[in-house]
Amino acid sequence: MLIRRLRYWTEKARRSEVLSEEMELHLAEKAAELQADGMTPERARAEARRRFGNVSLKHEESREIWMTRFWSELAQDVRYGFRTMIANKAFSTLAVLLLALGIGANTAIYSFMEAILLRSLPVADPESLVVLNWHSPPPFNASKQWVHVVHGIQGIFWPGGKGALVTGIFPYGAFETLGEENPVFSTLFGYFNGQNHNLAIRGQAMSANTEYVTGEYFRGLGVSPAAGRLIGSEDDRPGAAAVAVISFATSQNRFGGPPNAIGQSILVDNVPFTVIGVAPPEFFGVDPAASPDLYLPLHTNVLVDGARAARMYRDGNFYWIEMMGRLRPGVSMAQAQAALAPRFHQWVATTASTDGERAKLPALILNPGAEGLGSLRRQYSKPLYVLLAMVGLILAVACANIANLLLARAAARRSEMAVRLSLGAGRFRVVRQLLTESVMLASLGGALGILFAMWGVRTLTLLLSRGQENFTLHAELNWNVLGVTAALSVVCGLLFGLAPAIQSTRPDVMPALKNGRGSGPRRRAPHVLVVAQIAISFLLLVAAGLFVRTLDKLHSVQLGYARENILLFSLNARQAGHRQPEMTTFYADLRKRFESIPGVSSATLSQSSIISAGHAGGAYRGAMKIGAVTIQGASVMVAGPRFLTTMQIPILAGREIDDRDQTGSTPVAVISERLARTYFGNENPVGRRITFVDDNRDLEIVGVSANLRYGSLKDGGSSMTVFTAASQFPPDRVTYALRTAGDPLSYVRSVHEVVREADSRIPVTNVITQAAEIDRTISRELTFAKLCTGFAVLALLIACVGLYGTMSYNVTRQIGEIGVRMALGAQRGAVIWMVLRRVLILAAVGLAISLPVALSASRLVKSFLFETQPNDPRTLALAGVVLLSAAVLAGYAPARRASRIDPVAALRQE
Amino acid sequence: MGRKAQKNDSLPGSLDMLILRTLSRRGLHGYGIVQFIQQSSDNELLVEEGSLYPALQRLELNGWIEGVWGVTSNNRRARIYKITAAGRKQLAVETRKYAKLTLAIARVMGAE
Repeated sequence: MLIRRLRYWTEKARRSEVLSEEMELHLAEKAAELQADGMTPERARAEARRRFGNVSLKHEESREIWMTRFWSELAQDVRYGFRTMIANKAFSTLAVLLLALGIGANTAIYSFMEAILLRSLPVADPESLVVLNWHSPPPFNASKQWVHVVHGIQGIFWPGGKGALVTGIFPYGAFETLGEENPVFSTLFGYFNGQNHNLAIRGQAMSANTEYVTGEYFRGLGVSPAAGRLIGSEDDRPGAAAVAVISFATSQNRFGGPPNAIGQSILVDNVPFTVIGVAPPEFFGVDPAASPDLYLPLHTNVLVDGARAARMYRDGNFYWIEMMGRLRPGVSMAQAQAALAPRFHQWVATTASTDGERAKLPALILNPGAEGLGSLRRQYSKPLYVLLAMVGLILAVACANIANLLLARAAARRSEMAVRLSLGAGRFRVVRQLLTESVMLASLGGALGILFAMWGVRTLTLLLSRGQENFTLHAELNWNVLGVTAALSVVCGLLFGLAPAIQSTRPDVMPALKNGRGSGPRRRAPHVLVVAQIAISFLLLVAAGLFVRTLDKLHSVQLGYARENILLFSLNARQAGHRQPEMTTFYADLRKRFESIPGVSSATLSQSSIISAGHAGGAYRGAMKIGAVTIQGASVMVAGPRFLTTMQIPILAGREIDDRDQTGSTPVAVISERLARTYFGNENPVGRRITFVDDNRDLEIVGVSANLRYGSLKDGGSSMTVFTAASQFPPDRVTYALRTAGDPLSYVRSVHEVVREADSRIPVTNVITQAAEIDRTISRELTFAKLCTGFAVLALLIACVGLYGTMSYNVTRQIGEIGVRMALGAQRGAVIWMVLRRVLILAAVGLAISLPVALSASRLVKSFLFETQPNDPRTLALAGVVLLSAAVLAGYAPARRASRIDPVAALRQE
Repeated sequence: MGRKAQKNDSLPGSLDMLILRTLSRRGLHGYGIVQFIQQSSDNELLVEEGSLYPALQRLELNGWIEGVWGVTSNNRRARIYKITAAGRKQLAVETRKYAKLTLAIARVMGAE
């Protein structure tokens, strides 16, 4: 019937016409007959109509027959479904909860994917935007020397295949050349992220992420201002008035709304700018990861960053500016690439000075710009796919489980179905009714799952953002996500409902009618489903095991310095207008003031925290020598007085850097034990000299420290460290470390007061405890370990419920058999073993299926592991043991029940 | 659930039964059915002609009759309805029910 109805629906319009035609014919024939009886044509037609009744009403009624029935039947099914659900409260609650968990987890992860991987930039016509990138062969020659037209960069390369270079940064010359009148782009605009600058508004300083943009940037993106006007071509030329556009959020936080901000003057690193406009609220720049607070015309970087910036415009070998273009209507990306690649090639060839450089010139490639730059995508896409796979598996386990429960229930409802079928209900009709029930369950699960997902998105955002200051990833449940959730629910409902529905309406209804307690032939379907659940649980257990082990390894890394009771924060006095040599004194005075805060036992400063020293600039990176020997693989850490004391790094010989080391005094160095051992053997290095070749300076070694891990936990690890005095190698930006009594964060307020007293223009940034900073570098591993463990426990729990259900059902069905056995003298132990053996067999089959899958799938997550092999035998063994124990636990209750069967009662019942 | 919902709701199911009976002899178009019923009942049964069409749709929806394109005696294109196997079964069911009903009514009327 459904099929007939669907067919009717597909040809609804035509069928309606056919009906009109039929009625017309009817009237015509009637009229003809009446006419033949002697009426005039007019009267005959009128009479025919009168006898027919209301034509259009009947037409309507006829059509409605096809429509309303469908809905009324659906309403019937739904009502019936509700009754069934209420009659089986325990089952329905369990099923809805399972589904809510599964669907909710999937929705949460999907909303992140949607935010990161699928959503377009909030600009006009994002589809016609293209990002300009280039790639070139590996830059190193046979003797590992850098031979490439790129002589300097400001920005990042990301790894291409086999050491190739891939990036989106270009010299300014390339921007000018590509921007010249061209047939493929309507606009070409450039930008680069200036990182954080000191933004002072009405005397209050904050650290603002700054995007430098060319004059065509906003026009090219097709963005309109929330107030004022946006940066245009006339603002971006040397000597133009210094103007700025601020983000919507900044205008609200600092000026109390976009209109108030217009015309106000602000200081960026102490350089005055005038606010001319506010960006719209949804605009976050072109990189979803950056989300700038401040947009400045490109050329104003000369005002803010000084002469260094002016050089960047002239140097054809310095790569820094990023570009996007908007395609002219009708031009494809391939056409644009074909048109521009030769132009870029020609230009870049002029910047090559040797044959080696000429051999591997960068080649231009265009990529779709609709989603913005890929930095978030590169960072999160793989983890998200892994997570999505996991939650997908959870949902599969949940569906298998509900299918299993439904199968068991279907067995119980066999007589009901048999009665219905024998009373003449169509099999399809009954299946449809059962499917309505399961889709209803799934929809309820989906609705509840959305609530669960809302919580999940919040938790995940918290986990992923862990300590990152301006975390810009905002996932939300929008219509797109909700649509996917709804579709997922319906698909789930059909998936787990179909097999049981078909099975319970098998035409062999007679045995079921005769035998109330369905003890038909042993059915295989529940066992298959249980095995599947066990196999999937094992996969998740292995994943959880690997991530927990990775975390364990990371936690057991020897840092060599204190983790607890240290407060870190950064200051940048240069951006507030301080200059050398006054700045060094300023920093040194501040350190003393911090040290005098009650509860602070010692304070020190360095060019960055130890953890982030690996990728922070400022330290000396040139060659170092001891005598004639070049030091390989050592890192330089610029440190202030009492650094070793504050960080609790043991001093093995000599002294640490202290207040005696002043700008004018002998340059000093403290080296780590490994460095001392490697280059001085058993000699005492104190008093010897180390040469910084590029600076042409000799440093006297005054002490030896214990080894410490420099840089992040995962890729750091150089324990050869040279400490130099901050007074003698002054950094622009410093990170202070305070050793505190009690919770370090309770001192933040005092720190702010001290800094405000010293210079209110300087914002305190990156406030964090040392422990949190360390954990942040392993935040992904932490997140994965936590989530995975959660997922694995969930899957295992669901699988155990399934196992328990199946076993209970088996025991109930075999009461007679067990009764006979016990009557014949079987011991309780033997009966328990009989049930448990089957549990173990099921678990073992699941394991056997899953093991090879786990072995090959775990290789996919290799890049997330740390000092752990994907096929780590200990993890596999542990996962297996956990799984088997859980299975035995789940099977024990039914087994015990089986052993308590009273043989007499069982046999009587039979 | 079952077929209960699809039972026709016109006066004791008579119109559906009459149509099925009519079509069980031969396929006819709408007006032909009306004519046949009226003629074979000596014009005792006057079908409200307009009600025929919803009834036909209902029968078709239930799969008891099928409409196909054909030609009337006047050579006009028309939808000719034919009874299906399921329709014949249904006719048998309804005939039995009708017989029971009339018998029961006759008994009541005959009882003094």
